[in-house]
Amino acid sequence: MTRGAAGADLLTAPNGSGLAAPLARRRPAFRRRVVRAAAPYALLTPAAVVITGVLAYPLYKLVRLSFQKYGLFELVRHKGEDIRFANYTHILHDSLFWHVVARTVLFAAVNVGLTIVLGTLIALLLERLGRTMRVLLTTGLVCVWAIPVVVSVAVFQWMVDFQFGVVNWLLTQLHIVDYQHHNWFTNPWQGFAVITALIVWGAIPFVAITIYAGLAQLPRELVEAAEVDGANAWRVFWNITLPVLKPIFVILISLSIIWDFQVFIQVWLMLGTTPSEDYYLMSVYSFVESFKISEYGLGSAIAVVMVLIMLSVTFVYVRQMVRIGEAD
Amino acid sequence: MSSTTQLAPGVAINLPKRRRSRRHLAHRAALNATAAVVLVVMLFPVYWMVSTAFKPGKDILTLTPTWLPSAPTLANFTDAINRPFFWSDVKNSLIIVSTVVAMSLVLAFLAALALAKFRFYGRSAFIVMIIGVQMVPLNALIIPLYILLSGAHQVDKLSGVIITYLTFVLPFAVWTLRGFVLGVPKELEEAAMVDGCTRFGAFLRILVPLVAPGLVATSIFAFIQAWNEYLIAYVMLNSPEKQTLTVWLASFTTVRGTEWGPLMAGATLTALPVVVFFLFVQRRVAFGLTAGAVRG
Amino acid sequence: MRYLTAAALALALAIAAPTASGRTNAADAPTATSATTLRVWLMTDANGWMDVVNAANATFKAQHSGVDVKVEIQTWGDHLTKFDAALAGNNAPDVVEFGNTELAKYMAAGALADLTRYKAGFPNSKTWLQGLADAGTYRGKFYGVPYYAGARGVFYRKDFYKAAGITSLPTSLDAFSKDMAKLMKKYGKDSNFSALYFPGQYWYAAMSFVYDYGGAIARFKKGKWVGTLDSSLSQKALTRLKALVRASSRADRTGKEDTQDEVFAQGHVASLIGNGWEWGVITDPKTGNPALDAQLGAYPMPSHIKGKVMPTFLGGSNLAVPVTASDKQLAVDWIKAFTSTSSMRQLASGAGVIANTTVLANVNASKPKLAPFARAAARSWFVPNSPNWVQVENAKVLQNMLVAIFTGRKSIPAATKSASKQITSILNS
Repeated sequence: MTRGAAGADLLTAPNGSGLAAPLARRRPAFRRRVVRAAAPYALLTPAAVVITGVLAYPLYKLVRLSFQKYGLFELVRHKGEDIRFANYTHILHDSLFWHVVARTVLFAAVNVGLTIVLGTLIALLLERLGRTMRVLLTTGLVCVWAIPVVVSVAVFQWMVDFQFGVVNWLLTQLHIVDYQHHNWFTNPWQGFAVITALIVWGAIPFVAITIYAGLAQLPRELVEAAEVDGANAWRVFWNITLPVLKPIFVILISLSIIWDFQVFIQVWLMLGTTPSEDYYLMSVYSFVESFKISEYGLGSAIAVVMVLIMLSVTFVYVRQMVRIGEAD
Repeated sequence: MSSTTQLAPGVAINLPKRRRSRRHLAHRAALNATAAVVLVVMLFPVYWMVSTAFKPGKDILTLTPTWLPSAPTLANFTDAINRPFFWSDVKNSLIIVSTVVAMSLVLAFLAALALAKFRFYGRSAFIVMIIGVQMVPLNALIIPLYILLSGAHQVDKLSGVIITYLTFVLPFAVWTLRGFVLGVPKELEEAAMVDGCTRFGAFLRILVPLVAPGLVATSIFAFIQAWNEYLIAYVMLNSPEKQTLTVWLASFTTVRGTEWGPLMAGATLTALPVVVFFLFVQRRVAFGLTAGAVRG
Repeated sequence: MRYLTAAALALALAIAAPTASGRTNAADAPTATSATTLRVWLMTDANGWMDVVNAANATFKAQHSGVDVKVEIQTWGDHLTKFDAALAGNNAPDVVEFGNTELAKYMAAGALADLTRYKAGFPNSKTWLQGLADAGTYRGKFYGVPYYAGARGVFYRKDFYKAAGITSLPTSLDAFSKDMAKLMKKYGKDSNFSALYFPGQYWYAAMSFVYDYGGAIARFKKGKWVGTLDSSLSQKALTRLKALVRASSRADRTGKEDTQDEVFAQGHVASLIGNGWEWGVITDPKTGNPALDAQLGAYPMPSHIKGKVMPTFLGGSNLAVPVTASDKQLAVDWIKAFTSTSSMRQLASGAGVIANTTVLANVNASKPKLAPFARAAARSWFVPNSPNWVQVENAKVLQNMLVAIFTGRKSIPAATKSASKQITSILNS
């Protein structure tokens, strides 16, 4: 039973028997209006309650901690020392911090770009494949998605290992470069290339599958009509597919920005839980301050600044997203 | 093989077989080849993980790559399964994940409907909250979260972990489902209601099936997020019989280093349920060309 | 929707199956609740000697019948984060295992209970390994009971040594260097071969040289810490080490020692410096090559002073009681049961680690696989016992210094000077 067929059944039902029903119901107009007005709040409440119930206190505490000196000493005594904006001024005057911010922004931009572009290409590919190949490819993508991060980091580490790296071996065999005893992580650019590969690899399945799901909602007729009119694949994509899928793209891009901005565990594990300062991204820096150096106040302040930066970077998108659907 | 095209609701025609021109075949072949290459590249690390799970120790880290185990062994798997509390960890992970997926789908779908279909006071605020909440790094919240859950006696309880996971999955789920709901044109529902459906009937028969791919994608996302999450599960759960599989995986690293073979075997086992879940629900992710909907 | 229902059913079945099949561990059964519970945090390594843990629990139970012991296993990755959260949430356990380098921070913050008045009552407290006892002491007060230790020695391939003409094991650093040269002469043509596999960031092994020559990472003088890696003795040691590594090792000069056992198992390495338990890693069929067991041997790293062993870093763990524990006596009693002589003897002989007391040194002395490491532990060194030491490790001061030295990027005087400066400022901050 396909969805289209179901719709057809409904819409071709004889008019007579159906139309009588709503007119026959006599509901007081006022009660109906009240129900209508209350409906969205009722629908929203469960989700809102869960989110605010769990996060309200921790978020408040996070902001409060950022204004305190709160080390291990204070943690044991459950009492922090109020130092007002000292944490923030410390961060803003720290040159390391600004390097970390710049690095995080660049890193997120590259990752988001690669993920979205490659994910879209794969989604388009999926759309054009025959059934067997498509199921194969989607299952493969889900396998990738299913691997726990701890494990995928280990596998990527091995692939570029100084001694055992299969990628090193391949590159040497193919005479592209001699990487026989090459440590990819001495040079942060190369190290981040490996980390980017890992993250993009892990993020593609979700993006590809979601865009593919969106493509499924795209009416074939529009595409076929355009093709009949002589448009090539690129024009079809740009003029028809993209506008229709715009809401989904906005969502995916903004989500990817938020996630890639917060990348932590891959860098942390790849560098053996002791990354050097060259590898600090904002979340790594915050974690190190909080848990390694046990300065929770400072770590919290860094996290708050991180959120503010993310909000400003995604401001345009957030505004877009708030506006989407407002026209109806 | 003929293709069915919908020209209008309820009117489908069968187009005659397209002539298999050489160009068409070559095009097909090229697509399949590309798909194969993509598959190989994406799956390479997965293959590496699975083949390592079957390798004896000396084949695992070798100076020249060992593509297939020289003497495939199940020792890594038996070692992994026989570690203490494996089965209770599986049970706990399954309980947590199925609850999180089910609840998040329901709650998020309701909220997405509210956001997409109604205009109401506070809508923008809620949207901004949902987006903003996703920007806060989890690590920064761990200690306050623990204090909160501890105060509510939810530490060392699966319910505490479930509610925390829900909190992190919901914003994303609401967000994505809203997009999918918005993608279904109002006209379809309105047409159904004109034809005699109640609002709820239109919802059930038009909206839900069309949003189904979004529901599936969201459920897979929720499944994976909950299945692979480590830090919250580790910090919030104390009793050994209450741990999850991710914590179990972390226990393969001792002060003596990591036992790679058993870890990869454990990881393969951990990844299996996700793939199984996906195979069950994948049919719902529009795999047919006949799923077109008319847009006015 | 059909499929979602099917999926839900499948999940439900999957949940029911394991419990129904009866294939649950005996340990899975929930512990009975009792009047009081004593919570103990041990690291995953304890899974390897659960019998010792169970025996200690039994002894404790006999003493305190109304108290239930709950052992919770922690993973090395985030156990301190979890501990911090538990402290903040007033939910800390009663006994916690810490790696010996992790204690200083918590001792200084007042997170651990002062056990000074119980110290004399612990089994073998007079013969504890100095390194471990020092790690558990801060400003004269005692907080962490020594648990077990690991010492490093040299693993070697008997067949390679024999083929290279080494007839007796070296007893001085000079003899060692000469032996390495012989090995490189015989096998050096293989680009993967190392006579001594020494990755650049291996500071535990590198600092042994420094302490052997009389230098130190830092010393506490007149109330302040002073980094002393730039002292003449330290520099002499590092010069010696650099020459040795340059001549004998093909390992990554910028890399870590995490996978050295796997490399050794591949068969292109003649010797490496490792902990006693690495024997198991090299020869275990799951991680290494069991065929090597016959050819594997070990000896303590010789000092530059003939006849002595080079001081080894005494890694290991201590057991502490968080200051929030409700009944310190109970916690202390459990620790006493767990670190009793019989318990330690079982630990040493079964798991092959070094017990916390010199009294049991002979347990390992009779075993060829453990004796060299027990001998190596005779001279040991430990990191500066400052609560800020953790930051030095986090900043990778030592690793960066060594990498700069081994790769030649910085000269030894320059590298040690900047490292010492950094150490001084961090430790005193």
